[in-house]
Amino acid sequence: MKNKLYLGLLVIAFIFQGSFIHVDAKQIDYKSPEFKAVAQQFACTCGCGQDHYECDPNTCNLTTEFKADLVEMMNKGWDKDKIREYYVNIYGEEILTSPEKSGFSLTAWVLPFVVLGAAAIALYFIIRKWVKKKGTEEIVTGYENTDEEVESEIFSSMIDEERKKYL
Amino acid sequence: MFLFANATIYIGLAIAIYSLLIITFGISTKNQKLINSGKGGMIALFVCASLAMISLFYLLATSQFQYEYVNDYTSSELPIIYKLTALWAGNAGSLLLWTFFLTLYMIMIAFSRKMKGNPMVPYISAILMANGVFFFFILGFVAKPFILLDTVPLEGKGLNPMLQNPGMIIHPVTLYLGYVGLAIPFAFAMAALILKNVDDFWIKMTRRWTIIAWLFLSLGNIFGGQWAYVELGWGGYWAWDPVENASFMPWLTATAFLHSVMIQERKNMLKIWNISLIIVSYALTLFGTFLVRSGVLTSVHAFANSNLGLYFLIFMGIAVILALYVLMSRYNLLKRSAGQFNSFVSKESSFLVNNLLLVGAAFAVFWGTIFPLVSEAVRGTKVTVGLPFFNKVEAPILLSMMFVMAVCPMLAWQRSTVKNLRKNFTIPAVLAVIGMVLMVVLGIQKAWAVIGYGVIILLLITHFLEFYRGVKARRKMTKETPIVALYRLMIRNRRRYGGYIVHLGIAFITMGIIGSQNYDLQTMKTVSLGQSIDLQDYRINYERLDQKKEGINDIVYADVTVFRNGKKLGTYQPEKVFYGNWEQPSSEVAIISSLKEDLYIVLSAWEDDGKATFVVKVNPMMNWLWIGSFMIVIGALFAVWNGKYGNVTPRYTGVRKEVS
Repeated sequence: MKNKLYLGLLVIAFIFQGSFIHVDAKQIDYKSPEFKAVAQQFACTCGCGQDHYECDPNTCNLTTEFKADLVEMMNKGWDKDKIREYYVNIYGEEILTSPEKSGFSLTAWVLPFVVLGAAAIALYFIIRKWVKKKGTEEIVTGYENTDEEVESEIFSSMIDEERKKYL
Repeated sequence: MFLFANATIYIGLAIAIYSLLIITFGISTKNQKLINSGKGGMIALFVCASLAMISLFYLLATSQFQYEYVNDYTSSELPIIYKLTALWAGNAGSLLLWTFFLTLYMIMIAFSRKMKGNPMVPYISAILMANGVFFFFILGFVAKPFILLDTVPLEGKGLNPMLQNPGMIIHPVTLYLGYVGLAIPFAFAMAALILKNVDDFWIKMTRRWTIIAWLFLSLGNIFGGQWAYVELGWGGYWAWDPVENASFMPWLTATAFLHSVMIQERKNMLKIWNISLIIVSYALTLFGTFLVRSGVLTSVHAFANSNLGLYFLIFMGIAVILALYVLMSRYNLLKRSAGQFNSFVSKESSFLVNNLLLVGAAFAVFWGTIFPLVSEAVRGTKVTVGLPFFNKVEAPILLSMMFVMAVCPMLAWQRSTVKNLRKNFTIPAVLAVIGMVLMVVLGIQKAWAVIGYGVIILLLITHFLEFYRGVKARRKMTKETPIVALYRLMIRNRRRYGGYIVHLGIAFITMGIIGSQNYDLQTMKTVSLGQSIDLQDYRINYERLDQKKEGINDIVYADVTVFRNGKKLGTYQPEKVFYGNWEQPSSEVAIISSLKEDLYIVLSAWEDDGKATFVVKVNPMMNWLWIGSFMIVIGALFAVWNGKYGNVTPRYTGVRKEVS
């Protein structure tokens, strides 16, 4: 299988030699960051639940060919977005491991932050209400400083302890 | 045996229904005798569940393949430990385990010394018993553990080899203890609402049980991650799979509750919010089970698809509706006691922000998990929402959470003044910034890593200062030695310092995650015998390829010698195992672990001429994850431990009602 792949690459290299843009066909490490960036975008449909970067080519025929195709495109000089576009045009959004950032799928990305933002604003108003309710005339009885707070907590726990001894 | 085993289930169901009815009747007629009868039923139910467990253990251990469950999940050559643990390998068995834990918890609550004379007991019992009825119904009619086959197979189908790992023995057990554990705070909350009594005792008991459930949930997830790391040959530990998400969501909401309950304790506020968090956490455990067992989503955690999930969904629906009804009917009562805040900048406010982020993170996970269904329903396209999505969406939320965690201990209750802020934050902030600059200078330049580690430096310093100030204050009064002062300080305030230890554990885990996600290196290479693979400072010499037989399994292994900077580390054997009774082979990886990084070697493939393909990875800071996990366990145990000074759960001293 590997040999076939190399042969394929060689053929591609040969073809591109004569083209205007000279691109070197190079062997691409299936675990390299550049391959990861491309392959991680696509979900393997063999039922393994992984993407094409993780799916093991030794146990899954589907990914073997898919990976070879990806390498071919990378050698043509296509970047990950172009490759992504190519597959989405053929298979639709289903092939991707995460939803597109456009159309209805954009809601997947945006909604969590919209909700978080709205909740943050609501929280701000709630705290403001609670703080206002307190009014200004009251004397702040709380500790203004954590040092004092810690000390007083320790102090009261020690008093408590002593008290228990004599109860 | 068949009759006996099935009898335990059906008699159990009858007892559960009886107990539920009799307790409810006892509550309405205020008749202690009826309540006591129901409590007796609880013991009987526990006995039934235990006998059912023992029966299934016995059948599994003795390989009685005429039983469908035994046949489906074991084979005769399986080591005895995995024969036994096959009990939770499938639907029916794992639900039996769940039921067993539920009855165990019930007994622990109803007969606890601390709960003696507490009028909440009958209510809690009834609510838990309703859960009991549901689970026994499921075991009796939907996922039956004891089904006889028409013919007696000579050999069982065997246990999925992936599950034959120590991690898998304990991962489901801890996870279920966590799941079931969240039913207890829920029962407490409902009982308190019905009795219109959300007092101090309630808070303490609920908090204690939530910490216990939380600890088990954490452990369940950690063991799951650890198992995935060593067993799946994938080099990762968390995949944002729907099933993982299902256990992460209640973990987040339970964490939120554990923090916000402190405001209720101090200021008598947020009662509705806290009870909602408990309801949501409980509902999420059922929702998770629905996701896992219904097959509506694709998951690597393959449970046989069945209509089981639907029952969970219905049960969850009923539970949530009833809970909301009770909550609404007590709304005015809870609302009346709303208190006030003194300032925007205070510990109280930071707890609210903490809640916002945790619940926000839980919502983001929820939304991502169900989005494929939403998308399919709205426009007919089933999209995949995988790892890249969750990493991108969750990273900023959880990192902000870390920041709040770093800042919170330094804020004062009530109000932090500018002077106070300056005093507390100048040193940690300056040190964190220096740390970040140093990182950039030393070559750590990825934005996430620099910001993440910067926040963690801040966190470590603020937490250190908390301990330091506590010890200093104590010494000022007692003149103890620093160690004694630290020890006494901590055991006298277990919850606070236990919590800080958990924070430090989370910081360690986060360091591990940031390191391993941002700076991992991988390569996949095919080499001939005698050749080597270079990755970073490592050289892996491929020396031998051979095979051996272990039982019915064939193992192909490679001998590789590993050098680091020219220094020999040893010879290791990554393996590929072909199972006698399982189609898919699995990889046994070689892991060379250090505090700095793990070298992870997978034997991927080989050819007749001896050439072999290896996947080699360097995963930085993996051990930090496991150390952090350990600290979480220590911290949580420290917080709930009932020591001499532990005033965690007082005995009930409230008004006595007629029934208890």
